[in-house]
Amino acid sequence: MSRLQGERRCFSEVSLFEVRSPMITPRARMLSICAAVCLTLAPAAFAQGQGRGRGRAQEPARPFTRLPDGKPDMQGYWETANFFTAFDLEAHEKAEYGIPAGKGVIVDPPDGKIPYQPWALAKKKDLMEHHLFEDPQAHCYLSGVPRQMYTPFGFQILQPPGSVVLLYEAFHSYRIIPLDNRPHIPDSIRLFEGDSRGHWEGDTLVVDVTNQNPGTWFDMAANFHSDVLHVVERFTMKDSATIAYEAVLDDSKVFTRPFKIAFNLVRNHAGDYEQMEYACVEGEKDLQHYTEGEGAKPKK
Amino acid sequence: MRRSLLFALFAAGLLLSAVPSFAHHSFAAEFDGNKPITIKGKVTEFEWVNPHSWVHIDVTDDKGNTVNWSCETAPPNILYRSGWRRDSLKPGDEVVIDGFVAKDGSHTMNARTVKTPDGKQFFAGSATDGAPATEKK
Amino acid sequence: MRIVLLGLAGSLFLAAAGPQTSGSGFRRDLQGIWEVRNTAAAGLEAHSADGGIRAGESVIVDPPDGKIPYQPWAAAKRLENFTSRAAADPLNKCYLPGVPRITYLPFPFQIFQTADFVAITYEYVHASRTVHMKNPRHLDDIDFWMGDSRGHWEGDTLVVDVADNEPSTWLDASGDFHSDKLHVVERYTRASPDTLLYEATIEDPKVYTRPWKISMPLYRHTEKNAQLFEYECHVYRENGAAFQK
Repeated sequence: MSRLQGERRCFSEVSLFEVRSPMITPRARMLSICAAVCLTLAPAAFAQGQGRGRGRAQEPARPFTRLPDGKPDMQGYWETANFFTAFDLEAHEKAEYGIPAGKGVIVDPPDGKIPYQPWALAKKKDLMEHHLFEDPQAHCYLSGVPRQMYTPFGFQILQPPGSVVLLYEAFHSYRIIPLDNRPHIPDSIRLFEGDSRGHWEGDTLVVDVTNQNPGTWFDMAANFHSDVLHVVERFTMKDSATIAYEAVLDDSKVFTRPFKIAFNLVRNHAGDYEQMEYACVEGEKDLQHYTEGEGAKPKK
Repeated sequence: MRRSLLFALFAAGLLLSAVPSFAHHSFAAEFDGNKPITIKGKVTEFEWVNPHSWVHIDVTDDKGNTVNWSCETAPPNILYRSGWRRDSLKPGDEVVIDGFVAKDGSHTMNARTVKTPDGKQFFAGSATDGAPATEKK
Repeated sequence: MRIVLLGLAGSLFLAAAGPQTSGSGFRRDLQGIWEVRNTAAAGLEAHSADGGIRAGESVIVDPPDGKIPYQPWAAAKRLENFTSRAAADPLNKCYLPGVPRITYLPFPFQIFQTADFVAITYEYVHASRTVHMKNPRHLDDIDFWMGDSRGHWEGDTLVVDVADNEPSTWLDASGDFHSDKLHVVERYTRASPDTLLYEATIEDPKVYTRPWKISMPLYRHTEKNAQLFEYECHVYRENGAAFQK
């Protein structure tokens, strides 16, 4: 199945109409999404002729190519197909607390909910209702894994010898994934983006992520974890324009069992697209407007 | 010609669909989706900064009192790809900005669109909470 | 058949060795984790020791006197910066350091090479630069804290042209500064298995009387399984600790 020739992607992605299952054919997904949004909104079109880094063009899906070492060539600019996930991993039927309605990305357990232990569910609710000020991303802290994967503005994959490198536009963050089977760093070193180790299983890149800073959240809905979080990601290239992304999240202090998220990464085909710098610390001015209701400190 | 067509498409698009855009933080933690506002005034400063750019405008009421409003927009990378430049708005430009008011009572808002007198309309898309999906203009 | 196999083996070796665009193989390979061993971060010009900072010779090789050729007004401004540096240094607020200061901060960085890009990822505030090797045109009407980098090879030297520089960065902790017209041309050359030679020509017609040049070695991190960690400056500034719950 090929995508419609010349179809344009929406600038602000497709959260309201996202189809959860990655098994939906590209054509069906694209039709449902763009019928609703793309026909009425033309951000890609308006960006044309305005300089570099324009809207995202679509090309017919082709088989992917391989690097000289035989591995799938995933290099290029990518973004998630599901905008909503940055707000919440779980589905929302209606908007609440600033989370728009949208489909979730949790494929296991089947009910699509994070399997919190009771104390943790209570904490999540409290964080969301009263402490959004504590969202580390609002403070320009790094997003962690998997949140960095669906924080918008996309990312670039490079496959230099011995590593896979992900360069994200948001917060100019990056992840270096060595492929040389070196051990993880000791538990006492904490990294916001975690410590990643990768290896190939056939055409799937499997990435083991440990040592994450326990202060990060998974989304803007205050879904959180502890210092024992262990994430295993799988990147499987489907065609030249699609990578199926899955992550199993395991945290025995917070969840009753591991859970799994899945969504597609789609290639940004815009001809001369380039990533730009998105700094945060240098000009952050929003936190000063948070009120005590969101957990900000009382103003004098 | 092309530009005005594109902006017209944009305006049309905004009427028909919510455009959840990105902020690195929760919209609703800072702004009130139930308090849409439209203000008109003169640009005093266009701060072209990350993680959000800001349009500062002087708004004068019918009593002659002037208040300076700060209107948050998308960051430069998004604005740039949308055709904005740092001189797209200059001090003295008359603009109409609509969006949502900050919850803390300051003269701060999250801008959705910025309209200039010559009919051009920039989508300032910073963040929404989905509430404007059914909003009519 | 043997020739075909040899050719295949050769090309696979070159591909494995790194940069796809090189014909020279090894010597265009800048990959690895690198760090300076000088105190240029404290001051590019020659300086005495200070609390926690070793003395250092100037890293400025041109002009020969090792001093930054400021215009008179700029020399006065520099003195003002120097006097107020404890408060005025943008690094105090954990801002991105800019180019070339990021190179000689006392933190490592890692260079990756593919056919179309050289990526430099820095441990300090996870700064990141992508050197575009295929598209030489800088962006117009925008600037970045880390500038916009376009690169090409001259022999075995990677030449990186850095424009669109945000004017607020300093060049070191002594208040050396520039304007929005800063233009930097870096040169990275593999000098030995474990060193690179880093040179940068710095020009700014608003601030300096002429272009000037710095030069310093970069040393490879050779410890087993060396990797970058994180230095999240503003996290510590905001929380006084490593932000763990």
